[in-house]
Amino acid sequence: MHSNRLTIVSILAIAAILLAACAPSTGTPAGTSAPASVQINGAGSTFAQPVYDAWIYAYQSVDPSVTLNYQGTGSGAGITAILDNTIDFAGSDALLTAAQYTQGKDLQMYPIMAGAIVPIYNITFNGTPPANKPLILNGKTLAGIYNATITMWNDPAILALNPDLASFLPAAKITAVHRSDGSGTTQLFTLALSAFSSSWTAGSGTSIQWPVDTAGNGIGGKGNPGVAAAVQNTPNSIGYVEFSYAISNKIAFASMINQAGILVVASADTLASAMNDFATNFNDKLTNTIVDAPGQTSWPIAGYTYIILHTSSSTDCTKELKLLQFINWALTSPTAAQIATNLGFATLPGSVQPTVLTALGQVTCNGQPVLK
Amino acid sequence: MQKAISKQHNKPAFIRKFQSALEHGDRVWIGLNIAMSVIVVAIMVLIGILLWNQSAVSRQQIGLSFLSPFAAPTWDPVNNTYNTWSFIYGTLITSLVAIVIAVPLSIGIAIFLSELCPPWLRAPLSMLVELLSAIPSVVYGLWGIFVFLPAVITPVGIFLGDALGSIPLLGGFFAGPIAASGSSRLAAGIILAIMIIPTIAAVSRDVFLAIPSSQREASLALGATRWETIGRVLVPYGTSGILGAVILGLGRALGETMAVTMVIGNSLNSSISLLKPGYTMSSLIANQFAESVNALNTSALIEVALVLFLMTLALNIIARLLVWRVSRRFPAEART
Amino acid sequence: MAAMFPAAASTKKAKYISSRKGFVRRRSVNALMLVLTGAVTLLALIPLFWIIGYVLLKGGQYINIDFFTQLPRPAGIPGGGVLNAIEGTIMLTIVAGVIAIPIGSLSAFYAAYHPNTPLGIALRFGTDVLAGIPSIVVGIFGYALVVRPTGHFSLLAGGIAMAIIMLPTTIRTTEEMIKLVPTNLREGSLALGSSEWKTAFKVTFPAALSGIVTGFLLSLARASGETAPLLFTALGNTNFDIARLINGGIASGQSVIAIIGNILLQPTDSLALTLFKYSQDPSIDRINQSWAVAFVLLLLILVINIIARAWVESRAAKLRG
Repeated sequence: MHSNRLTIVSILAIAAILLAACAPSTGTPAGTSAPASVQINGAGSTFAQPVYDAWIYAYQSVDPSVTLNYQGTGSGAGITAILDNTIDFAGSDALLTAAQYTQGKDLQMYPIMAGAIVPIYNITFNGTPPANKPLILNGKTLAGIYNATITMWNDPAILALNPDLASFLPAAKITAVHRSDGSGTTQLFTLALSAFSSSWTAGSGTSIQWPVDTAGNGIGGKGNPGVAAAVQNTPNSIGYVEFSYAISNKIAFASMINQAGILVVASADTLASAMNDFATNFNDKLTNTIVDAPGQTSWPIAGYTYIILHTSSSTDCTKELKLLQFINWALTSPTAAQIATNLGFATLPGSVQPTVLTALGQVTCNGQPVLK
Repeated sequence: MQKAISKQHNKPAFIRKFQSALEHGDRVWIGLNIAMSVIVVAIMVLIGILLWNQSAVSRQQIGLSFLSPFAAPTWDPVNNTYNTWSFIYGTLITSLVAIVIAVPLSIGIAIFLSELCPPWLRAPLSMLVELLSAIPSVVYGLWGIFVFLPAVITPVGIFLGDALGSIPLLGGFFAGPIAASGSSRLAAGIILAIMIIPTIAAVSRDVFLAIPSSQREASLALGATRWETIGRVLVPYGTSGILGAVILGLGRALGETMAVTMVIGNSLNSSISLLKPGYTMSSLIANQFAESVNALNTSALIEVALVLFLMTLALNIIARLLVWRVSRRFPAEART
Repeated sequence: MAAMFPAAASTKKAKYISSRKGFVRRRSVNALMLVLTGAVTLLALIPLFWIIGYVLLKGGQYINIDFFTQLPRPAGIPGGGVLNAIEGTIMLTIVAGVIAIPIGSLSAFYAAYHPNTPLGIALRFGTDVLAGIPSIVVGIFGYALVVRPTGHFSLLAGGIAMAIIMLPTTIRTTEEMIKLVPTNLREGSLALGSSEWKTAFKVTFPAALSGIVTGFLLSLARASGETAPLLFTALGNTNFDIARLINGGIASGQSVIAIIGNILLQPTDSLALTLFKYSQDPSIDRINQSWAVAFVLLLLILVINIIARAWVESRAAKLRG
């Protein structure tokens, strides 16, 4: 009798566990009105990830009641995820297409800051080149490398740009590293290549077919970290990453000759200069491109990074409020600005910031404005 | 007992009913068994259906040219043109490299473990070989990137490029130079070989163990050496079983994802060379599925998964048929 | 034997075989090949020792208390650990186990006792197919089946994907163990009037239990090393912290079910996923940590494997009598 009961109890227990495991999948959405633990999920851009990670880390002490989770999956993935409603906000450097605006119904992009993309390289020099003489490239040469028309490090085009390094550049094949996943970084980079050179015919987009791949000299890396890692692991390679990945990992990055014909080094100043060249160009979708800027001191490969939100379809107003508070903090707090600047990003110009804050104020939840 | 019975009567009717159902619960029991078995079968069917349905857009818009080996290699989400042949090629060539390396080694191991190894050494050695298959794919990848590729693949790749790169026809497969990091189809193939050796070796060993002792004894009695016995009696006898083992290993190589993604270089590439970076079907999906930019792109990636699924399905069926044939041929006299 | 020494073989060959010279030659080929197979076996074991040795030596250096107790820090801030991945791996295996064990063991009973019914044949085929499906395809399946409909990358989605990976091993080992239970034990129970299910629970199951447990452990070891199925299901979550989720839930007065539900719908990290991400990172801190993660993962999996395999062997020997 006793063991019988034991069996029954254990069966019931298993059933209970199973029920408990299955129940939530049929009902209760995540984080139902739980003021003390709001979980907000974001994903997307690895371009902006260093800043988002640092912001989230700092924000824990600003508002401990909210847990933010940001996954650097690539802008393409971020957009897909916000379209599928699998996350609460997306980080993206890529612009939404018309079709995506239609599919997403109430999606809005909010510029958060701007970042620079730098060509990074790993060259095994012949001998020891002079210190503090980074590689110099211009737009045409960079496009030529990714077009596989320039395939050797001692190509005359590269030698001509680098008189100081000329005798040190090896007669080695260039391995060009690019993103293997869909990415806003790639979109900005290819947009710049299209602007630099009329012979760049591969177009621009979050994921393109690389001529250098077709020629057999391309390697793909996943995310900005993946590209940086691949360049580090591959002697005589070149890649492109968001500026902060080059700084924080001490990877050599190239200087560029910009549209005005001036040699510029990536920095907060040259980035700000590029932003100012186009400060009035924001369209009604709050987007703007700043590649190949004409200014004397402007860094040529740069772009805004955006947060994408649903503006009216949210039903979890507590969560929406916490999310907007976080974004508001990121845009206005000096701490947040400092974090971004330290990582090589530039905050929004004074002429743009109020517009973005106003737009954030228009987000509604259940028909009511979220921020009051 | 008296107490228990009275207690029994005090219980609500539905509990008594439940208890009596349990007492004679064979129907419930077999029902549960059947239900769970149906779930397992349903999962398999559902995977097939789901891949088929969700690749509909791509199948309709691109059609058969998606699979054509003669079209130019293209995977261009900007212009929405997709052709999967270069990924199929990447998968096939890396698996081929893996098989060419792994099969002789595995059969050697199987022979050693089943025929020659001292009995006390057999169990621990078998276990060690099988442990190789327990190491997670990502650990192979990590070790590959930072240790194995620079130490082994890059020098071997340079050597192969120099030695074989200029031979007509065959040279195309060894056209260098290999990227200095070693990322290449060759790297993926060799890592795959290491990963599938345990599978092929273990199954082949079982095939050898299943061959009746009478076969060996007859051969030895006729004066053949052990090696002659192995080469002329056991191997021919076990051929179909070994073939099954090889196909099982091939199936694993075709589907392997993480280690390959980490060492193959992820580059869409029209070259056939082993020394060039490439892509396999599974590494394409791992890199791009979450980031696909439009419906056709997603659908095309799912169609790649469908092709991969059908390839491994076909291989599994063939392998099972072969292994099954062998085990049916001599079940009675099996050694252990 | 006809094939070996065909009657039509020339007398020259027959002479060679029986000659002294031929004998020596044949003996030395024999010895050479035997040595060669042994050498090949050793060769195959080189990667095993190379990987294990390297991971243990290199990864061991970066193991510390923080590694097990802290969440990851943002890139550039040194220190931090992989608590999220450790908890995530545990939770994923629990969810996967809760799904895979009942389905796996009950269908194994069916497979063992009704192998030749249409369902039994379909089941065996299904198990084989599931074992051969590339794990990345399982990931896509999990995405389409769970992530899209629920709108969350989640523990649940990852657990389901992992359960599918675990099912074939669980079913096969359990089935084999059930078959090893002597028929007379089972028949004896049935003859005494006990019902099928009681026999299953009181006779077959206990006799096969340790085997079933080891089968489950083995499949668990395999699943915990899997990354591909989690890429599009569990996604990863650097802030996954069970204690915080539970405390937060209690503080806001949620019911137990709601808290469990909340946990199940979180994106989740795992050791293998973290290893993959960190290995693709340029930061030396992250790369070092990826070796440490490999250390933990490898140790976990090897220990489970060695124990489980040794156990299965001894148990099977015992049941065979």
